[in-house]
Amino acid sequence: MKLNRREFLALTGKTAAGAVIFAACGLPERELIVQSPVDLPEDLVRGEDAWYATSMGDFTNGDGVLVRVMQGRAKKIEGNPDHPVNRGKATARYDSALQLLYHPDRISEPMLRYSKAGNLVPIDWDAADTRFMEALSNATGALTVVTNPLRGHLGSVASKFAAQYDGKHMAFDPTEQGVLHGAVKSVLGQDQLPTFDIANAQTVLSFGADWLGTWGSPAQFGVKYGEFRGQHNRGYLIHAEARMSITSAAADLWLSPIPGTEGDLALGIARVITSEGLVSNENNAAFNAALPGGLGSHGIVDVANRTGISVDRIENAARYFAEHTPSVAFGGGSAGAHTNGSFNLGAIYALNILVGAVDSKGGVISNPSSALDGVPASATGASFGEWEKELAQWRAGNVETVIIRGADIVHGMPNSVAIREALKNVPNVIAFGAIHDDTMDFADLVLPEQTFLESWGSDIPEPGPGYQVIGTQQPVVGLTISNDESGLISDARGFGDTLLDMSDGSYGRNMEGLVRGSLSDLHDTGSGSVSASSASLFTDGALQRGGWWDTSKVGSSSLGKVNTSQKNASYSNTGSLGAGNDFNLIPFHSTSLFDGRLAASPWAQQTPDPISSASWSTWAEINSKQADDLGIREGDVLLIRSSSGEIEALAYPHPGIRPGVIGIPMGQGHHRSGRWAEGRGSNVLSILVDQKDAATGALAWAATQVRVQRAGRRVKVPKFEGNVEARPVEPGVPVLVVGVGETAHDAQEANHHEYQKQFLGESRESGEHE
Amino acid sequence: MQQRRELDQVYINRKLLNGQLDTPKWWAPTVTFLGVVVVIGLVVISIMINKGLGVTGLSRPVYWGLFITTFVFWVGISHAGIMISAILRLTQAEWRRPVTRAAELLTVFSLLTALVFPLIHAGRPWRIAYWIMPYDISRGIYPNIRSPLIMDPVAIGTYLTGSTLFLYIALLPDLGNLRDRTTGWQNAMYTVLALGWRGNPRQWKMQTVGGILLSALMLPIFVSVHSIVSWDFAIASAVEGWHSTIFAPYFVIGAVHSGVSAVVTMMALMRWLWKWDDFIRPEHFDALARLLIVVATGWLAFTFLELTFALYGQDAPEIALREMQMFQWPWNMLFIIFFLTAYLIPVPLWLFKRVRNNIAMMFWTSILVNVGMWLERFLIIVPGLARRTPFVYTWEAYRPSGVEWMIFIWAFAWVTFLMLLFSRFFPLVPLFEAKESQVFTDDVMIGRAKVPAIVREAD
Amino acid sequence: MATAEFGSHNWGMVVDVDKCIGCNACVIACQAENNIPLNTQDRVERARSISWIRVERYWEGDFPDAKARFIPIMCQHCENAPCEPVCPVYATYHNSEGMNVQVYNRCVGTRYCANGCPYIVRFFNYWEPVWPKSLRNHLNPDVTIRSRGIMEKCSFCVHRIRRVSRKARSEGHEVADGAVQTACSSSCPTSALIFGNFNDPNSKVSQMKEDQRHYTLLDQFGTDPNVIYLAKIDADKKVGAGEAASHG
Ligand SMILES: Nc1nc2c(c(=O)[nH]1)N[C@H]1C(S)=C(S)[C@@H](COP(=O)(O)OP(=O)(O)OC[C@H]3O[C@@H](n4cnc5c(=O)[nH]c(N)nc54)[C@H](O)[C@@H]3O)O[C@H]1N2
Ligand SMILES: Nc1nc2c(c(=O)[nH]1)N[C@H]1C(S)=C(S)[C@@H](COP(=O)(O)OP(=O)(O)OC[C@H]3O[C@@H](n4cnc5c(=O)[nH]c(N)nc54)[C@H](O)[C@@H]3O)O[C@H]1N2
Ligand code: SF4
Ligand code: SF4
Ligand code: SF4
Ligand code: SF4
Ligand code: SF4
Repeated sequence: MKLNRREFLALTGKTAAGAVIFAACGLPERELIVQSPVDLPEDLVRGEDAWYATSMGDFTNGDGVLVRVMQGRAKKIEGNPDHPVNRGKATARYDSALQLLYHPDRISEPMLRYSKAGNLVPIDWDAADTRFMEALSNATGALTVVTNPLRGHLGSVASKFAAQYDGKHMAFDPTEQGVLHGAVKSVLGQDQLPTFDIANAQTVLSFGADWLGTWGSPAQFGVKYGEFRGQHNRGYLIHAEARMSITSAAADLWLSPIPGTEGDLALGIARVITSEGLVSNENNAAFNAALPGGLGSHGIVDVANRTGISVDRIENAARYFAEHTPSVAFGGGSAGAHTNGSFNLGAIYALNILVGAVDSKGGVISNPSSALDGVPASATGASFGEWEKELAQWRAGNVETVIIRGADIVHGMPNSVAIREALKNVPNVIAFGAIHDDTMDFADLVLPEQTFLESWGSDIPEPGPGYQVIGTQQPVVGLTISNDESGLISDARGFGDTLLDMSDGSYGRNMEGLVRGSLSDLHDTGSGSVSASSASLFTDGALQRGGWWDTSKVGSSSLGKVNTSQKNASYSNTGSLGAGNDFNLIPFHSTSLFDGRLAASPWAQQTPDPISSASWSTWAEINSKQADDLGIREGDVLLIRSSSGEIEALAYPHPGIRPGVIGIPMGQGHHRSGRWAEGRGSNVLSILVDQKDAATGALAWAATQVRVQRAGRRVKVPKFEGNVEARPVEPGVPVLVVGVGETAHDAQEANHHEYQKQFLGESRESGEHE
Repeated sequence: MQQRRELDQVYINRKLLNGQLDTPKWWAPTVTFLGVVVVIGLVVISIMINKGLGVTGLSRPVYWGLFITTFVFWVGISHAGIMISAILRLTQAEWRRPVTRAAELLTVFSLLTALVFPLIHAGRPWRIAYWIMPYDISRGIYPNIRSPLIMDPVAIGTYLTGSTLFLYIALLPDLGNLRDRTTGWQNAMYTVLALGWRGNPRQWKMQTVGGILLSALMLPIFVSVHSIVSWDFAIASAVEGWHSTIFAPYFVIGAVHSGVSAVVTMMALMRWLWKWDDFIRPEHFDALARLLIVVATGWLAFTFLELTFALYGQDAPEIALREMQMFQWPWNMLFIIFFLTAYLIPVPLWLFKRVRNNIAMMFWTSILVNVGMWLERFLIIVPGLARRTPFVYTWEAYRPSGVEWMIFIWAFAWVTFLMLLFSRFFPLVPLFEAKESQVFTDDVMIGRAKVPAIVREAD
Repeated sequence: MATAEFGSHNWGMVVDVDKCIGCNACVIACQAENNIPLNTQDRVERARSISWIRVERYWEGDFPDAKARFIPIMCQHCENAPCEPVCPVYATYHNSEGMNVQVYNRCVGTRYCANGCPYIVRFFNYWEPVWPKSLRNHLNPDVTIRSRGIMEKCSFCVHRIRRVSRKARSEGHEVADGAVQTACSSSCPTSALIFGNFNDPNSKVSQMKEDQRHYTLLDQFGTDPNVIYLAKIDADKKVGAGEAASHG
């Protein structure tokens, strides 16, 4: 190989000196670039993949997903770009659900407990069917079907099945949405939960609900939030929540009210708006009409005192909300989980009337009723009050058979209802599920249930996108097989299919038939997202896209009144709980485990909590200043005691929570639930006290007061963050913050000067510029 | 200056060959004990290789810990051999004679030990052949010569080869001697090893010239080795405390400090163990202590320069690191120990002639230096990684695991074991040098100084 | 930076920090996509968990003005990567498409590259990765499982790039903008992560990177990353206040 001078210079320029010597030995020039000629093994792409569209009803509020399947195995769950709710996007919960499908502790076959004191022993499906039949045959009038809140076909099948036996269908949700449904119904007159046009709003004012993380439809709201931030005039988010959730963190203005005073805060904001005349008289009048007793005693200083938020902040929030329209107000979550929950949420939703945001662009968007008769578009858990009554019946031996699916009631119910005793007095407890949960410890018959990836169904997202949607759910994998000799992981059946098998057949023979039937009915309407020449082509088209939707079928509101039966919150008593300090307990949903339904998945377990970065454990968030005062340090084991029990949690002090409030994530503390969840952490739901919302009887799950004491032990919190509180060493590193219109470059310059000043002291820094 | 008495040849032979010809009683039990420790160490190493580096205390971002510290430490110790033999040989410093071989041995054995650490600290030690040898010529994939991890084995390999040759050449006359005094398998072994040494003038000449040539060749290598080791750190531009421009000379002088101290320790041990009071005399300790005062003070200057350069830039992360290194628990405690042991205690003591001539004092102070110098490396390597990076989020501490400590102990047992094993078969003090020093010494004037020197007849 | 004309690829990511809500959807999507070993409690506690993308949370201020700032961090695919020259075996190098790639088969596990990387995005496999047999069903066949003793890091989902570009090549057209989605960018609900080709001047990333909010992480090291960040906006920040004070 001959090199001329130019080539030689070019080569020496880009190679190490040694390589030049090799070049002289005759290796081709391309070998000289300091880059390996090998490709990654990843270059060898094997096999073709298929993406199936389905719905994820059990673990989301009806998000549409695509599942990547290769060689019969599901590999990945992503958002379905066609689906109107999540538009191709995801939450941290999607992929975790995949691990339930292939969970090594999946229940592989039916199991029977011959006597209440005995163990579960495997039986075959025939024997299980027989036992199921027996349990049903004398259960007429004394049957309860317990499920998670179910929309879509499964909801209708469960209800009809219960009705066939003169029984009840009761939904259980540990953090029930009854208060929210009630408030939406009474103020906006809607049966379905509305959605919010966050993307087009200039101001969003939200209360209590971590809508970016766990509340409502986080994927849907997340997409809208992205658009809200990306607008030409970047939107402004005001969020009121006692603890810093990711929504609080995203907020431009975070208000941290004393828990239970969210309604007061809303009315305080209204007071500022009305007294400063920031909205039209028309809106004012409509608002007053919706509020029995008017703004009453809600003077601004009074509100500031009651909520613990400065007058300034309330005024700023109010002005921003009224002046930068379109604006929208909504709330839920812990704001509604108080004894005055209905009042709080009512007051919050009424704010929309004040700014004219009902059924308008950038405001509250009503959702229509179901496109299919008898297929519910909305579901909520039965109220805690109703559950107390029901469980009394169980305890009294008045219920013969209880069928349970999708609801781990033993884990989810507070200690006060003595759920275990109640279950022990039910002769036939039949539990469906994929992984052995705490409730199954009390079941007489355990039936392996297919996950949403293996079974037929449908889901109507709630909140929907503002128009009619039917999301379809179809099996994306066949038999759940493993790649070793053990073959079958689980010989599971669908819940719906099993019920239909046991039914009189009057409302369907199987879920697939039901879903396909409904889709052909939709074909007959001739409208919506799928058009096809025949019902069967239509059905296939809908299944391929993950469902059917019709943007022209929208909902509407009719204004009503705020329920003011109880305006002030009351909290449970801690009088007799021994030593310690009193805190307001705010349980919150884990972004990954949710209320615990994903606790079996190791991915869900390992996902760092966004705020604490903790995983695999139960921690307690308390204000760092207060922790200092109380001598509590990170990792201290805290005993958290309420009048209904005690749990342990690891202290995680941080600056983003109101002093006097303690935040504990839900989702841990399972006795069972597979190898990764068993015996891990504590179940905060168990120590909730039986406080109820005055209007609906819903559990006031944020109204528990606890007494907190150090146990005297300290352990390492399993978290991603290192061993110090993460605060920037240098302003703007790594998160550069700019003001509106400011360039990154300018901000960096300013930060640099700021830093030099901090670092070198005022005098040196100015000297430098002289 | 010299405090020697005339020794006759028979006495020299008997005394200096006592390791080989009549092995002392403590030898067998000591070697057995060390052998057991070495075997345990090897088992622990095998377990680690078998199970994976999970058994260490390393984490993210503290990816290097005790192993690399100990690697740098042993490479540092290895600088004694060349420092003592080559430099002193070239400058014809007479007092070097009794200690050259032990020093060279220490070089060879500490290099052998040092090399183990980069090997076992790798995630897949069995693949390291790929890294050191250009293994994939057919596809034009070479090791990355820009990486100090390639320069390291090259430099250390060269150093090891050179030192071994150096040691061997100096051993030849003594091998001949031993061959003539042994029978049976030992005789056979020495016959092969002595390469036909007869001690004729031509052989002596070649041996001497070879020694001097190698000395001259080794000096640049000696400087390069620790310079290159320092680049392992100096080129990591994003690691505060590592990317210092002064590292190469700083590391070299630090290596001399620790290496010469190790030689002092070893000399004291040899004197006690083999009762070589006639050969290893206080004057030798005195001379080494004087040398150490100079070296240590030079090293101290570099230490201060390093800190000054670091602080002069007023770069916040750099200052944060120094603050952590010097003032935060537990680094502050280590830092104080480091500073006391590496300089503040030994050097002022050495200023006193009584201390310099006191073997026990020299023994303990030289040990202190190496405690300090080990800590110095630890304090450079670990805080640099465990520091508060701009990404505070991933700030983590490091605590070495039991496995790491076991392997650390293994290294010391291993070097001592090898030395003792060597002493069983070869004289630790070169006989010919001892004799030569008896025969060919005189004091000569260099400038105004009177120094001992070899007076040799021309042939 | 690569100088190639349009049609060649210089892959890159634009991260709009203002949109990131810290939800961790990207984190778990990456775990699932790339066969990353389970981060058991022990691994988390010993700071050995592997997360090719992580969401860091920084605190600013104190209650009631406390702010939590999130930033997703993955390999920055530096054009001038400090991790590359130190690798003795070229197991990590820069390819012609703007990516820092990791060749697992070559890596001997010195962890030197991890010390060199200022972003701490390289992860060492301290243990052999294990999954219960049944969970191996969900492993992605496109992605190698890394043995213990080697380094791994964000690959920009190179297997997805390969799939899409092979298909495009076989169909005889350019890879359309947006056709390649990494697992993280595809999951991100707020579209804070946008992936694309910087060599295509019309691509979304090329346009976004011109945004006046663009910055790169730790630019003092001159690493020239292919991940561009857009600054977080604080609506209430007083613009120019810092500067005025310092110049005054
Ligand atoms: N900003 C800033 N700039 C500086 C300085 C500073 O402090 N700050 N310092 C200045 C100083 S003091 C100096 S000395 C210069 C150094 O500047 P340069 O001389 O540019 O130094 P290097 O980049 O170290 O080396 C140049 C090239 O030589 C190659 N090389 C290595 N060995 C050989 C060889 O045997 N033969 C050949 N042909 N090439 C070889 C290397 O691979 C490298 O590509 O930088 C100066 N520039
Ligand atoms: N790792 C590494 N080591 C190297 C090199 C390398 O490239 N990398 N290059 C080698 C070469 S070629 C050289 S020339 C040397 C350079 O070695 P050094 O001279 O050590 O070079 P710097 O680190 O550039 O500068 C030293 C310190 O001087 C400070 N300083 C700056 N201005 C002033 C001043 O006005 N007064 C005083 N008192 N201090 C000042 C700087 O902040 C810095 O902390 O390093 C050699 N060693
Ligand atoms: S971010 Fe780190 S690992 Fe990635 S290319 Fe840059 S230096 Fe290398
Ligand atoms: S750990 Fe692997 S990739 Fe990193 S420097 Fe070592 S061999 Fe190279
Ligand atoms: S196993 Fe794969 S990487 Fe290894 S030699 Fe064979 S083809 Fe190459
Ligand atoms: S680009 Fe791919 S590999 Fe990189 S962080 Fe995102 S998902 Fe993980
Ligand atoms: S998915 Fe998007 S919004 Fe969520 S943490 Fe990742 S980058 Fe941020």
